Amino acid sequence: MAYSEKLLEHYENPRNVGSLDKNAQDVGTGLVGAPACGDVMKLQIRVNEQGVIEDAKFKTFGCGSAIASSSLATEWIKGKTLDEAEQIKNTQIAQQLALPPVKIHCSVLAEDAIKAAVADYRAKHARKDETAPQAAQ
Amino acid sequence: MMDAAHEPAARGAHAMPTACWSCRGAVAAGAPFCATCKAVQPPGGADHFARLGLARGFDLDTAELDRRYFALQRQLHPDRFVSKSGRERAIAQSQAASLNDAYETLSDPLSRAVYLLKLDGIAVEREDGATISDPELLMEAMEMRESLAEAMDAAAVDAVAARMERERRTTVERIAAAFRGGDADAAHKATLRLKYLVRLDDDIRARRAAMRARTAKGGP
Repeated sequence: MAYSEKLLEHYENPRNVGSLDKNAQDVGTGLVGAPACGDVMKLQIRVNEQGVIEDAKFKTFGCGSAIASSSLATEWIKGKTLDEAEQIKNTQIAQQLALPPVKIHCSVLAEDAIKAAVADYRAKHARKDETAPQAAQ
Repeated sequence: MMDAAHEPAARGAHAMPTACWSCRGAVAAGAPFCATCKAVQPPGGADHFARLGLARGFDLDTAELDRRYFALQRQLHPDRFVSKSGRERAIAQSQAASLNDAYETLSDPLSRAVYLLKLDGIAVEREDGATISDPELLMEAMEMRESLAEAMDAAAVDAVAARMERERRTTVERIAAAFRGGDADAAHKATLRLKYLVRLDDDIRARRAAMRARTAKGGP
């Protein structure tokens, strides 16, 4: 199977590999899996007070397409607001990397990992707001 | 040797009988041969258990599975059909292919569990790429894959492999218990876990092969 140059480039030099402190208040963690191939992807975001993603890291155990998809995803979400990051569609990732049809599910994994990380961050802050004394709306 | 022409039909007769293409006699669903005229039958839509004349369930006597499979495979051997018509040869071939498929699916615990869940209407390996987010399962999978990635020598890889083997055994037991108790959700959950453990096993194999290749080259 012929893979695109972009894909190989992200696979050979993945950006933003690593971890952030999942217990930190400003970090959201998304952990998703693709049962069909046994892949697992962790994507983390650090969000500043303006709701902008300042840093993103990932760790993926899976095929080259899954690694490239998560690498590209972390690159794209940096500097975006949470709302903007949530708008990223797997089809955009698949298109950018020219994923072959059998590997489209890898881009779905990346999209869902972003959504899960954003949801985790929001859940953390909803909890914090609830417990804060003057947070009643 | 068992009488494969009758046995499987008798034990796996869930579905309606069909008519033999050769003599028009009744053939039980899944039976590879007509009981009346002994003509080979097309595979049809029988499930894998019926095809091999086994009761549907996760608990399976693998010796019995082997016995039935090899007996049927002998009866379907192309040598037995050289003097038959082209049609009959083709039917025997497709019956043998279905039998291989059934045997392969049922002989491996993971594919057997996935297949049983599919019969229950639960898709473990979703075609649409749907993801899962069970944190307990995924954190464990991530942690075990990390420990393999960090294993620097053969002994460290062996330690990961030993843990994987233990987890795999208990997970297969858990799947068996879930199916026995008719708990499809628990069976599904444990099957996903087995899937990740098998994937880890693949990685362990690849890792060992890479280590051997390095040693063969005279590397450190």
